[in-house]
Amino acid sequence: MASGTKSKGASGARGKGGAKGKSARAARGAVAASKPKPWGTILAVIFVLALAGGVFTYAYLQINEKNKWVVSDDNQDPSENIEGVERIKYDSGLHVDKTQRVAYDQSPPFGGPHDGVWADCTGIVYQTAVRTENMVHSLEHGAVWIAYNPDQVKDAELDKLKARVEGQPYLMLSPYPGLDRPISLQSWGHRLKLDRADDTRIDDFIKSLRQNRYQNPEPRGRCDAADPTQFDVSNPPPFVQDPPGPDAVKMDGTGAKNESQAEQNGEVPTAPPSAPSGVPSSGAAPPSS
Amino acid sequence: MTDERDPAPAGFSGPRRALVLTGATLVVLLVGAAIGMLITTARVDRAPSAPSPESVDVGFAQDMQVHHLQAVTMAGIARDHTTDPEVHTLAFDIESTQLGQASEMAGWLTVWGRPELPDAGRGHMAWMTGSGHGHGDATTAAGGSARMPGMATTEELNRLRTVSGKELDVLFLQLMLRHHQGAIPMAQFAADRAGTGYVRDLAQKILSGQTAEVTLMTTMLAARGATPLPPPN
Repeated sequence: MASGTKSKGASGARGKGGAKGKSARAARGAVAASKPKPWGTILAVIFVLALAGGVFTYAYLQINEKNKWVVSDDNQDPSENIEGVERIKYDSGLHVDKTQRVAYDQSPPFGGPHDGVWADCTGIVYQTAVRTENMVHSLEHGAVWIAYNPDQVKDAELDKLKARVEGQPYLMLSPYPGLDRPISLQSWGHRLKLDRADDTRIDDFIKSLRQNRYQNPEPRGRCDAADPTQFDVSNPPPFVQDPPGPDAVKMDGTGAKNESQAEQNGEVPTAPPSAPSGVPSSGAAPPSS
Repeated sequence: MTDERDPAPAGFSGPRRALVLTGATLVVLLVGAAIGMLITTARVDRAPSAPSPESVDVGFAQDMQVHHLQAVTMAGIARDHTTDPEVHTLAFDIESTQLGQASEMAGWLTVWGRPELPDAGRGHMAWMTGSGHGHGDATTAAGGSARMPGMATTEELNRLRTVSGKELDVLFLQLMLRHHQGAIPMAQFAADRAGTGYVRDLAQKILSGQTAEVTLMTTMLAARGATPLPPPN
């Protein structure tokens, strides 16, 4: 645009006998000649720039603060604003059965293979420690699990946690014997260990990660126990504190009984390669389901 | 050579005028942009497409989801345990309807850029303050209620999980009837005062649907020789 204006001006100057060319020359001379700086104008411009910059910053911070804990495309993990959150990426959907244990990499675990039956997470306060393999499945459904050390958290401190959880969807509270800190919050792929029940990071963690569609593998999965014969809320499968044996399912799912069942059910194609087929590269075909 | 100087406003030489013009343009642009930014900030919670966090729309969508999800839990227990076909059908109907409605409300909140569920540390029902309706029993420091009207206690839910036969059918009908009675004023309030048409519409559907089911469950209780629980305060 600026160059276009210049060339127009130049052609116009030629056409009109150089009158404007003269004035342009005069202006250039004036630039070199006029030494006194317009300090008032410069200061005014600086002032306006500073004012506008201040307003922009203020508005930006205000909008950011309002949306700090709101999960959105632009803010997929608000827990990044919380100090002390541990993060690990876990594969979802690896199931074990009720006779198996998983050799979890973390204590309390916050992801990995889990029982096909999930623990009830409808704002349940468990009185007894619950089998970990069931609890991890509820994390996959978007629940937040608050675990506490029953030797360290009791009475008033425990009541604060109960009040937070009871009747609130996608929350569950349970003792976790041997926990190395008084309190530990778990969401799928996220954990935060704390010392006090009135730590404001508890609410921030819940706001950031409960039903977080970007962080939970199956948000809005059911929290209600599917079948009381498999998971009885009033008498849940008990927690096992002993370390799992060598037959435990690995974190990558190897050793899971459901894995071999799936193969027998034909979910994993096991057709012999010599099977007659018109399609030369059936292995590359996308799965039908 | 008579015209050495351009006619310029008195006291303004060429470069100085250029500076002043540039400065003035900057002032106009920046002040305008700054005002625009401030207006945006002030209106960020009030845009028609996104009801404010304190609005009836957002409060209803968050709280009614929690209310609905407990009904889903209770209906699921009844559906699993009852041997009475009429109770089974009603439980399945309530469970599916309210699960669908809860998901619809969660979808609105996502689109609005609001939290999908109410803050765990805050009470419920603050969006209905000034309505004159009952707001449940306990009041939290944040100004809301700890428990929404009609919600079953943990003990009641645990009992529902353990009973069977006619005792289960009666307890389910009693708890669900009271649960509906608690939801109806919430739905009425949102049907009257929500700012968004589709929110008022769903609230109206909940209102009429649950009002009809209150009548049905009262009849079903009578047919089983039982009476409703006292309505929520």
